[in-house]
Amino acid sequence: MLLFALMISIAFGFLSRRRPLDRVKYIAWSLLLFLLFGIGIGWGMYPFSR
Amino acid sequence: MTDEAQIAAAPPRDNKREARAIAFCVAGWLVPGLGHALQKMWGRAITFFAVVGVLVFVGAGMRGNLFNSDGGDAFAALGYLADLGTGGFYLLAKYIEVGGPDVSHAYGDYGTRFLAAAGVLNLLAALHAYEAARGRKA
Repeated sequence: MLLFALMISIAFGFLSRRRPLDRVKYIAWSLLLFLLFGIGIGWGMYPFSR
Repeated sequence: MTDEAQIAAAPPRDNKREARAIAFCVAGWLVPGLGHALQKMWGRAITFFAVVGVLVFVGAGMRGNLFNSDGGDAFAALGYLADLGTGGFYLLAKYIEVGGPDVSHAYGDYGTRFLAAAGVLNLLAALHAYEAARGRKA
């Protein structure tokens, strides 16, 4: 999940931002949200997993 | 001013630019990043090539399902379209995945997602190259 999130974040950062600093900020923010949502949804599904 | 006069006054459509944009789009689809490289957007070109390449390589290495044209149902057809989005890397994935897909394990299932995401991402990048060539995006 980390590798997937990192790759997608990098691609989105380069797609949507032009300046290097903006790209880095976007990539970091996007990666954080990917991980938070991924882990959050995982824990959200936990009560229904059995 | 009447409608006819407005149409006559409008600048002629730049067909050459449009054709170039389409060519960049197709090039970007066939080889990830090539559409941007032809426009000298080196950072984006290298990034898309590397990102799509890594996703395809890892996805195929995990023995993800690489869909064929004879899938049978709508999901398989959509998966095939997504996988085709990787352009030339589709053939690379076929070459890597000599043992065929194995989705009986979680790894194979993750690999399928990696391959589909690579394809959709490359289509997005090719579309961006098209828009950039038309002057709509920087």
